[in-house]
Amino acid sequence: MGSVTRRSVLRGSLGLVAAGALGCPYIANAAATTATVWWTQGFVPDEDAAFRKLVADYEKASGNKLDYSIVPFAPLRQKEVSAVTSGVVPDVMEDADLEFAALTAWQDQLLDLSDVVETQKSRYSEIALLSRQLYDNRTKERHFYGVPMKTFATPFHIWGDLIEKAGFKTSDIPNTWDKFIDFFVPVQKELQAKGMRHTYASGFVVSTIGVDPINTFNAFVTAYGGDGIVTRDGKLHSEDPKVREAVIQALTRLAKFFKDGHIPPGSVNWNDADDNNAFHSKLCVMDFDGSLSTELAMINDKQAYDHDMLTHPLPMSNDGKQLPAQTGVFGAVIPKGAKNVEVGKDFLKFAIQPQVLNEYLKGGLGRWAIPMPSVAKEDPWWLDPKDPHRMTHTQMALFGPTIPWYEAYSPAIAQVNAEHVFQVAWGDIVNGGMAPDKAADKAFKRAEAIFAKYPIRQS
Amino acid sequence: MDASQVLDGNRSLARRARSRMFRGSLQGSEYTWALAFVIPYIAIFLIFVIYPVVYGLWLGSDPASYVELFDDPIYQTTIINTALYLAIGVNVKMFLALLLSGFFMRRGWWVKALLMIYVLPWAVPQLPVFISIHWMLNGDYGLLNNLLFELFGIEGPSWLDSHWLALGSVILAYIWKWMPFWTVILLAGRMAIPQEIHEAAKIDGATGIRSFVHVSFPLLANLYLVCTLLSTIFTVGDFNTATFVSGGGPAFSTFTLATLGIRDAFDLAQPRVGVAAVMTALPLVVPLVIILMRKLRTAEVQL
Repeated sequence: MGSVTRRSVLRGSLGLVAAGALGCPYIANAAATTATVWWTQGFVPDEDAAFRKLVADYEKASGNKLDYSIVPFAPLRQKEVSAVTSGVVPDVMEDADLEFAALTAWQDQLLDLSDVVETQKSRYSEIALLSRQLYDNRTKERHFYGVPMKTFATPFHIWGDLIEKAGFKTSDIPNTWDKFIDFFVPVQKELQAKGMRHTYASGFVVSTIGVDPINTFNAFVTAYGGDGIVTRDGKLHSEDPKVREAVIQALTRLAKFFKDGHIPPGSVNWNDADDNNAFHSKLCVMDFDGSLSTELAMINDKQAYDHDMLTHPLPMSNDGKQLPAQTGVFGAVIPKGAKNVEVGKDFLKFAIQPQVLNEYLKGGLGRWAIPMPSVAKEDPWWLDPKDPHRMTHTQMALFGPTIPWYEAYSPAIAQVNAEHVFQVAWGDIVNGGMAPDKAADKAFKRAEAIFAKYPIRQS
Repeated sequence: MDASQVLDGNRSLARRARSRMFRGSLQGSEYTWALAFVIPYIAIFLIFVIYPVVYGLWLGSDPASYVELFDDPIYQTTIINTALYLAIGVNVKMFLALLLSGFFMRRGWWVKALLMIYVLPWAVPQLPVFISIHWMLNGDYGLLNNLLFELFGIEGPSWLDSHWLALGSVILAYIWKWMPFWTVILLAGRMAIPQEIHEAAKIDGATGIRSFVHVSFPLLANLYLVCTLLSTIFTVGDFNTATFVSGGGPAFSTFTLATLGIRDAFDLAQPRVGVAAVMTALPLVVPLVIILMRKLRTAEVQL
């Protein structure tokens, strides 16, 4: 064995550095059939298990490898923003929220996935296609910057047993918007009189965090006739008296409901999971929350799932018209700079085959509906009356009147919603004592300033 | 000796001087070894210190980001909150720490036992502590309001649901968490004061408050100032307290610059604006660092 000299140490060190540097491209080349995938963690373990099965099926069918991470949606959002900012990106990412894809497509940070969507285009719902055709500010065009994989509507979730405990019947629930909501006020009073000191009529989220407060605001505005607040041309209609009136009415109604003590006070600080938790702990009789996450979290409690909980569709508007359900679409994107685009696309083409996607979403217990109405019609599982929760949600998301989340129309509303501009308005009313019309004006002013930054060329 | 030889001689001298400058007193292979050992540290310093700082400065160098930031209606509230958070949080914490360090100078086993209990909030990891405080302050089912109701029949307020109560809760949580640490630092400072000085002052009639005012505090003043400056610099970047105690709510009304920066960077997917938000603290932080550096260079012996 030779002796260790200064030269040998230095030579050895240099050799190691060189081997490391040269080894990196080799490893990348060796993994040419491996794609990195980031996916959102489910609300129930079955969702993650279904994704793992999807990956295993793909790997078996293709011979490719998927190096995947399942991450809760809030950290995933941060991870995704960091990735597209630094340029160190995975090959496939699931949207962590409804704003990310719209904002990053605008910044030309996503790949056009039209060729992937094209393989199943005829199967998709109109809302699914519309929601993924996002605007790129560099090309000034809309393309499929995301692949639709999951869709959801927002039903009401109700504790039927609490209604009965309060001395009412679920069949008494009225079917027009304001009356529907007011129905829960005497229920709250009766329950509180019976010792349920901290049980409230509703679990509406009136915070400035996450998706739920946006959901809630949009539903109220739609119920009061303001669903034209943003239109397909990507324009904000703040000057439209009908829209303005609907926004003021929505802010007034929610703020009053809160101030009158019919929403848990902590709701001003809730995040997306908190209303679910509040509902599960019977802090509220009724909740308004997207997808079936609320019900599925209690699927193992047969009494609660099969008997006590109700999934209620939207009531009619106050003048008796059917209200459209705002239907969100989640899916996957491929960021620019991804190393293994072909494997990423191949995986997505595999995943959106109707039978594969159907099996994946059914494996997740149907928390999300399949964005392909024909598949839901062909498979009786989706509309099985034995599971009234799933049937109601599927009906709302796929077969009733629907409108998309406005992020489909303009990335500006993605920023408005990410900033929670209209949710700050109800904070201004509740905490700042501002009049609802002034709060609405302030919010519209901010929204207009944001929309001015996102001009969309009309084609 | 001709002119060219003189020139060559000068060049050679200059080379040797340059070489001495880099090599110092190191000879031959010592210099190579020294280089071999120092290069990894320089590389780590460049990668993990210089690069992030330069990248951050680059991200925050776009003037448009500042326009965007100043247009944000919550920016002004955030600045006011940050100023209040620093002014009240840091100063109350440091002043109480100064007083308590005097208490912990007392002799007795129970004082030492109490000190061990007292430092626990600092020793426990931040996140579980702040999340626990968040739940304790919940208006509906929090420990505090339940106690108020059970013991006195009082319905407590919703601590985190109004601006001032929530901001007050954040500041209190911050003081509670960090006061023990600074108490221990100031306690160490007090212990370094020679006992003879106190005894001499005692002979001159300075006891109790007078001893504190005329002996302890003047000797601790420099340490107190340095600690306050350091604490202010640390606290400007404090993200955890506001995020986990109040969540920045209600309606962003308890945001500080650090939480605004994270929100802009990740929730709005605008990292440049997020960095710009944090950069706007520089007019405060840079002078503080300069004063701190000057204080640390103070030549005279002072605690």
